[in-house]
Amino acid sequence: MSRKPENNNGKDEVKILAFLCNWCSYAGADLAGVSRLQYPPNVVDIRVMCSGTISPYHVLKAFQMGIDGVLIAGCHIGDCHYIKGNYMTYKRFQVIRDVLEFIGIGEDRLRLEWVSAAEGEKFAEVIREFTGQVEQAGASPLRTRWEENPANRERIRKAFKPLLP
Amino acid sequence: MHNINNNNQIPQNDTLVPGTSVSSGTNASVGAVMVVGGGIGGIQASLDLVEMGYRVYLVDSGPSIGGVMGQLDKTFPTNDCSMCILSPKLVEVGSSENIELFTLSDVVGVEGEEGDFTVELRVRPRFVDPEKCTGCGICTEQCRVKVKDPYDADLKRTPLIRVPFPQAVPGVAFIDPTRCLYLLKGKCGECKEVCLADAVDFEQKERTDTLRVGSIVMAPGYRPFDARIKAEYGYGVYDNVVTSLEFERILAANGPTGGHVLRRSDGGPVRKLAFIQCVGSRDTSVGNSYCSSVCCMYATKQSLIAREHQRDIEPSIFFIDMRSYGKGFEEYYRKASREQGVRYVRCLASYAKELRPSGNILIGYTDEDGNAVEEEFDLVVLSVGIEPDAAGLAGVLGVALGEHGFVATDEFLTVKTSRPGVYACGVVEGPKDIPDTVVQASASADMASAGLGAARGELIVHVEHPPEREVVGEEPRIGAVICRCGTNIGGVVDVPAVVEYARTLPNVVFADERLYACSQDTQEWIRDIVREHGLNRLMVASCTPRTHQPLFRDTMRSAGLNKYLFEMANIREHCSWVHMNLPDEATGKSKHLVKMAVGKAALLEPLQEGVSPVTPRALVIGGGGAGMTAALRLGDAGFTTYLVEKELELGGNMRHIFRTVEGGDVGAYLEELVGKVSSHGNIELFLDSTVDVVDGYVGKFHTTLSTPGGPVEVDHGVVVVATGGVEYEPKEGEYFFGRDERVITQAELERRIHQDPGSLAGVRDVVMIQCVGSRNDENPYCSKICCTVAVKNALALKRLNPDAGVHICYRDVRTYGFAEDRYLEARERGVGFIRFDEDEPPEVKHSFGDLLLKVADRNVRGEEVSLGCDLVVLSTGVAANPDAAELGPKLKVPLSADGFFLEAHVKLRPVDFATDGVFVAGLAHYPKTIGESLTQACAAAARAESVLCKENVVTEGVVAWVDEEVCSGCRQCVRLCSYEAIDFDEERGVAVVNSALCKGCGACTAACTSGANTLLGFKQDQIYAQIEAACNPL
Amino acid sequence: MAIKDRARDIIGKEVDGVLAFRPEGGSHVPHLFNADDIDQMAGEYPAGERYPVSSIVRRLQAARPGVRLAVVVRGCDERALIELEKQGQVDMEHLVLLGLACDGELAGTCGCAQPYPSEVVQGEKVEGGLDLGMVEKLEGLPPGERLDYWLSRFAACVKCFGCRNVCPLCYCKECALDEPGLVDHGEQPPLLPVFHLIRAVDMAGRCVDCGLCEEACPIGIPLRTLYRKVGEVVESHFEYRPGRSPDKKSPLSVLGTEEDVT
Repeated sequence: MSRKPENNNGKDEVKILAFLCNWCSYAGADLAGVSRLQYPPNVVDIRVMCSGTISPYHVLKAFQMGIDGVLIAGCHIGDCHYIKGNYMTYKRFQVIRDVLEFIGIGEDRLRLEWVSAAEGEKFAEVIREFTGQVEQAGASPLRTRWEENPANRERIRKAFKPLLP
Repeated sequence: MHNINNNNQIPQNDTLVPGTSVSSGTNASVGAVMVVGGGIGGIQASLDLVEMGYRVYLVDSGPSIGGVMGQLDKTFPTNDCSMCILSPKLVEVGSSENIELFTLSDVVGVEGEEGDFTVELRVRPRFVDPEKCTGCGICTEQCRVKVKDPYDADLKRTPLIRVPFPQAVPGVAFIDPTRCLYLLKGKCGECKEVCLADAVDFEQKERTDTLRVGSIVMAPGYRPFDARIKAEYGYGVYDNVVTSLEFERILAANGPTGGHVLRRSDGGPVRKLAFIQCVGSRDTSVGNSYCSSVCCMYATKQSLIAREHQRDIEPSIFFIDMRSYGKGFEEYYRKASREQGVRYVRCLASYAKELRPSGNILIGYTDEDGNAVEEEFDLVVLSVGIEPDAAGLAGVLGVALGEHGFVATDEFLTVKTSRPGVYACGVVEGPKDIPDTVVQASASADMASAGLGAARGELIVHVEHPPEREVVGEEPRIGAVICRCGTNIGGVVDVPAVVEYARTLPNVVFADERLYACSQDTQEWIRDIVREHGLNRLMVASCTPRTHQPLFRDTMRSAGLNKYLFEMANIREHCSWVHMNLPDEATGKSKHLVKMAVGKAALLEPLQEGVSPVTPRALVIGGGGAGMTAALRLGDAGFTTYLVEKELELGGNMRHIFRTVEGGDVGAYLEELVGKVSSHGNIELFLDSTVDVVDGYVGKFHTTLSTPGGPVEVDHGVVVVATGGVEYEPKEGEYFFGRDERVITQAELERRIHQDPGSLAGVRDVVMIQCVGSRNDENPYCSKICCTVAVKNALALKRLNPDAGVHICYRDVRTYGFAEDRYLEARERGVGFIRFDEDEPPEVKHSFGDLLLKVADRNVRGEEVSLGCDLVVLSTGVAANPDAAELGPKLKVPLSADGFFLEAHVKLRPVDFATDGVFVAGLAHYPKTIGESLTQACAAAARAESVLCKENVVTEGVVAWVDEEVCSGCRQCVRLCSYEAIDFDEERGVAVVNSALCKGCGACTAACTSGANTLLGFKQDQIYAQIEAACNPL
Repeated sequence: MAIKDRARDIIGKEVDGVLAFRPEGGSHVPHLFNADDIDQMAGEYPAGERYPVSSIVRRLQAARPGVRLAVVVRGCDERALIELEKQGQVDMEHLVLLGLACDGELAGTCGCAQPYPSEVVQGEKVEGGLDLGMVEKLEGLPPGERLDYWLSRFAACVKCFGCRNVCPLCYCKECALDEPGLVDHGEQPPLLPVFHLIRAVDMAGRCVDCGLCEEACPIGIPLRTLYRKVGEVVESHFEYRPGRSPDKKSPLSVLGTEEDVT
């Protein structure tokens, strides 16, 4: 599980999961590839038909599994192949982002971007920027499940103690 | 592999069977249609024709289909990304078994007649074997000779051997022979050396193909006006004067500047940006008197997009009349001018001069106050007009050209050319935008197929597959195929290591690599490994599923497996190509992507495509021109059609129109139409009737009509909505309307001209007022036709009485297209045109019993003009039919804010609704001319026919599904469906997905907290498996 | 007029039953009264005794569709019923609400935005005021400490599912908390923090801030603070307040218009 390679200027090597809608953003990522635009290899992607099908559970699951950043990318508003699917993406994103911030995981680890099929350059730039942003934030504090870490477990037990009857 | 439409690529253990024919007949027509031109018009016509049961030969003179739309960045008025909406259609054409593509091909001869033409095609050599080429692009990297890239409007250079553009169909390379060293001198040939697929073939020769077709659709598009002819603007001399098509590429994210708005002279930024309108349009000095119809809107769009790229850009548009006449256009223009910082300058720009050394451009013009002004800009865009490019093709096909060199077509059915069996759609027939082109494309599909009913389905092939092997209950046995894609993947990713890794993954029982996973021999090999290893799932790690999934799914079927048991990992576009210098990381990422795909593959289930029977009958609502035309087209095609009209007689608004702007006899046409409809054996007429209740869905509607004889129930497969529009009624007292009988509407004037010319005998002075009830805060939209109607009636008045004084008070003269000629004629005949501002409308007064009109004429610096008049004619707009508000919810289709019906997509689905099986035509959609209405009715009929001609509606396997045991009936999913595909079963209290309507987006599933609603093929456990594989270390 | 008097007036006439409280063993329990036993109905409603009456209504109506009921509701109960009606879970047309205003003490400690229903039959209306004190306090902490705070609270979870079981808005037949792909079965404590965040995101556009979850939690996880934050998020982005925006549906349950998302 060591994730601190020497060649990364001491920064944590972060891992990012991108959910891409089939019609625009996945196509935009394809175009980035066809255009040979280079971006960091930290991101792996999951293709969904519409960004509107990405539920908050998916995002929570990814963070629970230790991902450092999650990108959701869909068609621009008005361009959705399914008319208004991305309206829901936008609304759900706002809720989940604010919850992540409040809980202390950090809103900068979740990002929503509209990327069209013609925006290969934008896709590459988004990945570069977001990777930088997540690297700045470092490895996710949830990267390892806390109960696997005895020290952490003890710390949390202690913090919990004052509330016990 | 790209040519999966090619017969000899169909796997050998499959057999071809002819489709079934709905209508029967004996004449010897040919069940195939040739479509000439692969732009959006030709593409739409081809797709429609295949859906209607005809084989299509799609011919394009270039190396790929896509046309001008493929070069556009965005489309107005929605600013949709052009490629996003076009490329799915390109893929659909490319993967259709029934569209045979002929690129680099020209029609050189035609013999025969309607129903049975023999067409001779000249096919130029591609020098690349499309059967072998995988589009991998290695040859392009080797090619040393670079030429201007026409895809980028010559703004960039590109190698001679290349795939024309990334989304091209066919997605294979070609060699531009003009400067190829090998072809010219026998030197170089490096592309051939490096091609691992052995696809480069310098020996290819031009060949001639002969094809038999039943009819021909012309869709060759246009050529832009050569801006050099307008020498006063300095195009071709000054670097910073560009054409609008060049600017479109500059704006495009995939264009030469990567979407950055930069000057051509020095690559510097642009702040002051100018558009000069009507370059090569409305200009008799260059021989183009007509209006190009689209330039006002695209200049506005380009201004907005430029500002989106760079906030500090200040666009100015130098224009004569702002012609934002289409659906949503006026609102777009208002917003641009009022809120989004686009400056509109009404003038005719006289000249452009380059300033040294800055390279800035000085534009000289006369402002509205008559002052000569010079203004400096960083970049000037010439909004070049549309010119016909049809003469050659028209000559070969033997069709007549009109006055301006566009193909001459019928006034009422605007796709009909002078030669029976040959139809025209799109700009070849006259300037128009994309939706009008798409409407004509569907309409030409309708007309082109009309005489071929007997041969419907005869030449359609569908592939018969071996029966599917039952895999439910088996342990997953996954085969993993890792593609090298020549060196595209293999040159970066350690493919053997990925194969080794794949072998360690759970459920993977076989893994190997291939040089090209998409090649023909690999498909055969896949069938072998499926058999040998008893595979029940397949995972291919190669390129993008957006283009290649259909191919592998076909292979799955031919291997006897359900095609949904297939998953792809994109290790090329999303990995090797974007991490070219990081081989280790790319290899690691490839393993991860493979692991994710395998994780999902293990959980894949076979999905069934739904089948729902079609009632081959139609319901057409509205018995006006559009409704009757749609009914007639469908009736002629052999489908029983119920035509419902709420009035006691047929005709609708058409009864109140007497002549078209070109002089066509509307009354005579209507009489013929009514006669045909009334006596048609397949049309059942319900007059004085309305639609009461509509149940069901595409293919299977059940409707209760309210008729004078009581309720009547009908079953039908489709609905065409043609409920028309109504004339805007001026408010009581608006310009003395209703209080002074000398104030009348255009419709009343037209009636008097044609039915009661005597009543106009004493009328000497007539003033017309435009935009009554249009383009204001109450009705923001433009009614599109009023300017043309006013000009038409002004000319008619002048013909009745050449001495009559006729004045038209207008805001912008919107005689788009060829109607501009009539505007010119009116001016020549002495009709006065007075321009007023929206906030300073004309005033009509009584003066000693006489009518007096006062108006500030903006054409002469706002000078007040007083006109005594015998008649004031109000050009009242077209308003939405109030019935629409009631009908919309019954049909589950939406209305726009203006109250007109709102189509599925304003650009590419102009006659469809989001709700399948329901179509729209005529004024119910938006104000339009008779020709446009009736043509749209043909288009609606074609779309309807594509449903009716099939025995069943076949639905995708990827659809939402609700587990009724788990559903609590909260109805969120019902509300979140854009397609009305989820019904609530009140009795059982659960949501039910109608898979015939579901498009498989999954917006509903994300809202279902209980997990009752899932998207098949993207089930939660499958996505969770992908997430787990993505997050866990290798 | 007191609730009990009103209940006596309408029982057997306007309604078939009255859902109210019956004294038992020194406290009160919910009971469905009919004309015969209406006299046993409690007249007072102590602050410490709250029940998810909306859930009981939902079950009663599901068992006997069309049954005419009256129910004693506090502000939070009414909000829950309003929200449940939007989700097709209760039938307000056949329901008479007997409004009970929370007293000043309860209103103060509870801290909900509106401690009274729209029509009060019994009790004095006391204006509330949403208590976001704890939310703001946590927002003042550095993110790392916030995470520690929550993880430590969540870590004590005994996975009794009391929060879910008592929640008036939790009516799903199957629950994401039982979904094996999301939350490992049999883990104790559950996967953190996903287990508790699942409920948090599901509360968006739903939670009516009744506080029963926190009351039900045997180890005092400050769930209400978490869900109040979610409520604030929904209100700030979408101007929607569950149970208090009767004419609108939750923005997360309708597609809405382009203005909603730009």
